[in-house]
Amino acid sequence: MYVPFVGEVPSDIVVAWIVSILLGAALLWWMTTRKKWPLVWDYITTTDNRKIGTMYILLAMVFFIRGGIDAMFIRTQLAIPENDFWVFQSQKYNEVFTTHGTVMIFFVAMPLLIGLMNIAVPLQLGANDLAFPYLNSISFWLFVSGGIIFNMAFFFNAAPNAGWTSYAPLATDTFTTGPNNNYYIFGLQVSGLGTIFTAINMIVTIIRLRAPGMKMTRMPLFSWATLVTSFLILIAFPVLTVALLLLMFDRIYGTSFFLGEYGDPVYWQHLFWIFGHPEVYILILPAFGIFSDVISTFSRKRVYGYTSMVIAIALIGLLGFMVWAHHMFTVGLGALANSIFAITTMLIAVPTGIKVFNWLFTMRKGVVRITTPMLFSLGFIPTFVIGGVTGVMLAVAAADYQYHDSYFVVAHFHYTMIGGTILGAFAGIYYWYPKMTGKMLDEKLGKWHFWLFIIGFHLTFMPQHFAGLNGMPRRVYTYTWEDGVFLLNFVSTIGAFLMGASMLIVLLNLYKTHRLTDPVGADPWDGRTLEWTVGSPAPEHPFQPIPKINSIDAYWYSKVERKKLPESEEPRPSPIAIQTVAPVLLAGVLIVMSIGFIYGWVWIQVMGGIAALGFFIYRVFNDERKAVYRKEEES
Amino acid sequence: MKQTSEVLFNDKRLGFFLYLVVEAIMFATLFATYILYTPSPRGADPTEVYELRTVVLTSVFLLSSSGTLLIAESGLGNWNRLKIWIGLGTTFLLGSIFMGLEVHEFYKYWSEGYTLTMNNFLASFYVLVGLHASHVAFGLVWMILLMVQFKQTMPKSLFIEKHKIFNYYWHFVDVIWVLIILIVYAPYLL
Repeated sequence: MYVPFVGEVPSDIVVAWIVSILLGAALLWWMTTRKKWPLVWDYITTTDNRKIGTMYILLAMVFFIRGGIDAMFIRTQLAIPENDFWVFQSQKYNEVFTTHGTVMIFFVAMPLLIGLMNIAVPLQLGANDLAFPYLNSISFWLFVSGGIIFNMAFFFNAAPNAGWTSYAPLATDTFTTGPNNNYYIFGLQVSGLGTIFTAINMIVTIIRLRAPGMKMTRMPLFSWATLVTSFLILIAFPVLTVALLLLMFDRIYGTSFFLGEYGDPVYWQHLFWIFGHPEVYILILPAFGIFSDVISTFSRKRVYGYTSMVIAIALIGLLGFMVWAHHMFTVGLGALANSIFAITTMLIAVPTGIKVFNWLFTMRKGVVRITTPMLFSLGFIPTFVIGGVTGVMLAVAAADYQYHDSYFVVAHFHYTMIGGTILGAFAGIYYWYPKMTGKMLDEKLGKWHFWLFIIGFHLTFMPQHFAGLNGMPRRVYTYTWEDGVFLLNFVSTIGAFLMGASMLIVLLNLYKTHRLTDPVGADPWDGRTLEWTVGSPAPEHPFQPIPKINSIDAYWYSKVERKKLPESEEPRPSPIAIQTVAPVLLAGVLIVMSIGFIYGWVWIQVMGGIAALGFFIYRVFNDERKAVYRKEEES
Repeated sequence: MKQTSEVLFNDKRLGFFLYLVVEAIMFATLFATYILYTPSPRGADPTEVYELRTVVLTSVFLLSSSGTLLIAESGLGNWNRLKIWIGLGTTFLLGSIFMGLEVHEFYKYWSEGYTLTMNNFLASFYVLVGLHASHVAFGLVWMILLMVQFKQTMPKSLFIEKHKIFNYYWHFVDVIWVLIILIVYAPYLL
């Protein structure tokens, strides 16, 4: 399509620009007429964990829509054989599956879980905030910055196109010229830095900010899962950082780490999966934690086998670092390496199985209430078990030569990522929505959402197992009538649109909840853990005084005994919260600097670098601790 | 009851140690890259590139700067302002000399034709040692900021906190340098 002054532009990009400008204008108009700017400003400058968590989830939902629309394009293109839907063939199709995968993993699943951690973990521990509120704000804005860098690529007709794994040598500048994959590198680099800071923040919070008596062995399982996940992030993400750094040198400065006669493409695969496999456990463990808390609450029972649950989380985390090469069975690492990695991979099924049985035993003889969060948890168990079983199938190295890069793999990881992470995030959002906003999402619409989503999900991905077994490779934009996978693909497409429709119900639910319902009290679900002792929405500085804990699910037992939780006499000082606009400015600076690198504009790189350094200097002289320490010294 | 500053310092120290773990893993990955690609089948060999004299000189300056930083650390204990000045000042001086020598080393190699793109040994050398050098440079800026803050009136406990965090950083950067000597230079110079 020809655009004046710009030239030839694919029509999907023109449509995206028009839609974005219209939506943006409508949003601005709405915020101005409804006088929402003070509220927006308050959220932008906040360091409060609940507000930051809410923003994480809100933005993740925006990216979810983007990644979801990508998925719709993919499914429409694949609906019938030899299809030519809009522009989504060959190179454009590569772009659309690359952005779908990358956005869903890094800008949807991660922030959804990190958002829920932000909201729930300090409250579950009896802490007044995360250990470093300022750093938390930095983390969030780095994520925003990375998300903007990655997503704007599409608007400049330069969406990354080497798959979410960005395999070399395809991802090097010899084979994919243009700025496309530079966007991938910088988007992930910046948001990854934010994730690392969040992990540090979570670990320090969990180790040092628990309320008196809240021993590690009394923590709710979501907090435990967050702790283990944070350690995984701490070890896995730096490897990604270095991998991206080396890829950047290959692309921008002419080295050849991953290609050519000197370099080694398999080294990229090793680095990527040493990060990438722990990453999938980073995505699933917090979801396990959410399900444990939800199932326990709605079964009116303590979680079954608490100790074995904690050990299982830790074991999964540990084993997660010993399995990366199962993504590379067909590379040719040799029989011994393949056997070892096959066995460690199968071993993960053991702790996961323990957790599944513990969830079932938690419900046994419990007083089960089928609420929306519980429904998502119940839907999760069989779905995830299917994903686990196909996972063990894929772990058989010899058989993997058949499954590798086929739709069987696509079906498998969607069963674990959607069946685990996304269902978990939905359960968590419905469950903690009162803590975020002070209102309860509508239960009836919630259940509609669940049923449409889960039916759509199985319709989409169950047939893909069979398409894969029949030889349909992933990442191809078309197939023929003779391939015999038309019906499977067609059903899959119908399912995908059902899932898309279920998300419209979420929007309807949000509208209904906020326009038509009243605020709820502190404990709408009859909960068991500390987050239900503070008001809804959770105020800044929620625990005054800080409670004293003497058992697992202490709040539940205090309700049973009709007593109030005892107060601790000498609580530790809380972290210092402030209002600051600096993190937003830093995010802006990093976007500008990244663009400098993406397009090779040296002056913008230099200016961005100086501005980023200037931020450090500003920070040094505007430390919120100064006033607090001075007061302490004077007294 | 513990002082607020003490509790918050312990939070920050744990957080910073965790950050150093992140850094350590990044360097570990780069060390692995270096070991994997060195020596390269083609292009320059490390034995013809490295010079013993430069390595000894840079090491003397950087490693002794960790020692002089101890003077400042002991000054923090009993709040001896002179000791802090002497410690920080000499550390800064030694660090700057190291930085100068490092830049000179890179410049020399480069002008002799041993560039980043020659082969993967040199590429991984420049990325690894360059990342270390940028840490030293960042540390030098940090020291300047510390000294400016030391001149300002600020709570004593806050200055001690900031200084201690910097000490951990500088010692960490030194440990990495020891590993660079052992892994990068020593096998090809001895």
